[in-house]
Amino acid sequence: MPTAALGRHGGQAAAGRFAVHDGDTWFLPRFGFVAGTSYTLLIDDAPAGTIVCPAPPASGPPAVVAGLHPTAGRVPVNLLRVYVTFSRPMGEGRARSAVTLRDAGTGDVLRGAFLDMDPELWDPERRRLTLLLDPGRIKRGLAGHERAGYPLVEGRTVVLEVSTAWRDADGRPLGAGAQRRYVVGPPVRRRIDPAAWAVGAPAAGTREPLTVGFDRPLDRGLLEHALSVRDAAGDPVGGVAAIDDGEAAWRFTPARPWAAAEHRLAAKALLEDLAGNSLRRVFDRDLTRAADDPLDLDEVQRPFTPRR
Amino acid sequence: MSGTQTTTMSRYGLEHGSPDLRSVGAIAFGPEGVLFAADNVAATIFAFDVSSALPAGAGVPGDVDGLDARLATLLGCAPEDVHVRDLAVEPGSGAVVLSILRGEGAAAVPVLVTVGADGELADVALDDLPFAALPIADAPAEDDERLDVRVVAPGEPEGETMEIRGITLRVTREPLRTTTVTDMSYVDGTLLVAGASNEEFASSLRRIPFPFDGTTETTPLEIFHVSHGKYETHSPIRTFVPYGAGGSILASYTCTPVVQFPLAALTGDATAARGRTVAELGPMNTPLDMTSYTRDGAEHLLVANSRHPLLKLAVSDLEAQEGLTEPQQPVGAPREELPHAGVLLVGGAGEQVLMVQRADDGALSLRSYAADAL
Repeated sequence: MPTAALGRHGGQAAAGRFAVHDGDTWFLPRFGFVAGTSYTLLIDDAPAGTIVCPAPPASGPPAVVAGLHPTAGRVPVNLLRVYVTFSRPMGEGRARSAVTLRDAGTGDVLRGAFLDMDPELWDPERRRLTLLLDPGRIKRGLAGHERAGYPLVEGRTVVLEVSTAWRDADGRPLGAGAQRRYVVGPPVRRRIDPAAWAVGAPAAGTREPLTVGFDRPLDRGLLEHALSVRDAAGDPVGGVAAIDDGEAAWRFTPARPWAAAEHRLAAKALLEDLAGNSLRRVFDRDLTRAADDPLDLDEVQRPFTPRR
Repeated sequence: MSGTQTTTMSRYGLEHGSPDLRSVGAIAFGPEGVLFAADNVAATIFAFDVSSALPAGAGVPGDVDGLDARLATLLGCAPEDVHVRDLAVEPGSGAVVLSILRGEGAAAVPVLVTVGADGELADVALDDLPFAALPIADAPAEDDERLDVRVVAPGEPEGETMEIRGITLRVTREPLRTTTVTDMSYVDGTLLVAGASNEEFASSLRRIPFPFDGTTETTPLEIFHVSHGKYETHSPIRTFVPYGAGGSILASYTCTPVVQFPLAALTGDATAARGRTVAELGPMNTPLDMTSYTRDGAEHLLVANSRHPLLKLAVSDLEAQEGLTEPQQPVGAPREELPHAGVLLVGGAGEQVLMVQRADDGALSLRSYAADAL
């Protein structure tokens, strides 16, 4: 029986089996041939022929970057996280080579800015990637922060760049790269306090949106589900929410007209800002500051009543 | 099917079937030939009975050079399409399993490969074996009001249209949250799972009873920073190892401190368990893997890193170490840097340690070391 082998290791055959059917000998690979790879058939350990598995034809337009968050023009120097959203499912393992932060003035790449996370942090469909800036360099008191400083530089403008080195789930490169500029401001180290939010009550009897203005940009991923509205009975109010550009405001349009009764805006305690501070805690809490003590809560509520 | 296999199956709630494995990452041996495997695409932890697939005969395999090229040949692909994700060594027998992803993206094929005593590679057939599966998705409950409120973002597909009392709305319901498993270990009837959220920045360690009964306890964890005893934060655990007969855990966080905590502290109640920082590995270093082994009757731990050299710590030194609250030089518990280069994965089997190492030219090898040589 012939053996099939790939590469120089003749002692290791490709997993699969040979079978004879209608007078022809077939090789049935255990794992399937890989597009673009060549395979050599050996008979009595001598090469007898080589094939190359062709790539399937591309279907549909190539993937593009559908979103880069935060969209705020200013970020704190202790920015913790960015999200890259694509139009199609993507392949994993490319973040290290395909995303960079550069100084906008000099063009220099900010080395070691991102945490090398393996496995990468994707959503279930592999369309949204979460990238963390190196927490070891953000957190006060750690060797990374003491020796290498923040990944970003306060007062500078940086550019977040996504290159076409990325491959989608079918192995095709991105149709185009994308970038976003940020001005780097001072660090933010305080809990999120919903009492500081500007809540604009809608008119009763209408489906006007409830508007909420935050005192700082908040995390895009968590904003998508951390806020909700309850009616006077405590039941959830159905509707559609929208997050404004800059992630500093949230608008909720109800499915049915507002009743003229007290409602509550509910915020889950895990909601974070751009620096990882939440309703519960400061990202790297200073034990000597009592104001930063963590709060033991699951949720905070702000009441509002639609106007007559 | 062997008598042993039926016993294992019934004792651990496994059933014959064809698991829908979509990816594979962290793996860990459980009791009696059960191998746990984390599938981050399916957000599921599988328990496979691999006892009949493990190479017969005792013994830790010897060195395997050109591991990536050999795996590539076995899997019918180019070496750069071989992604070795994790290494597991069965306690007692020393049998070795590697978790591999062949290729990328939608075409990625998850494979479990055994390494025989003579270095022979074979894949574990996953189309008919005893197994159990536990979903770990962070999905909100059916009646969670968040399902009624959903942002339709620019660039996203519009999702379904919903009619509520004569009003048509465009809503999407699919959750974007995931927990990505970074490491697992089995201790005395419990599978410990470290994971990172793709949204909030938090520590969590899950305790999953085995046989799976659908429950998991989750304990948030806090650590004290090294410097000045002044700062306190959370961080996802990147890799951890139980030691001291499973009574303690050494964990390495994504922001580099190495932290110790007793297993008994993880009781799943709301107040966080606190870890004691015993070492800090310095900037721009990612911890990759950890294992324990025995040398001269004493338990030792190895920590493989992306940048920092391979570290060896003696458990007796860890136990004697006060939690780090003041700056010290060198920082933390006494430790030794070992000369082994390019260590990606480590696995201990009593007095042998296996390492997957990458050479400067990128070639992978699996090497076996006697404990008294480390």
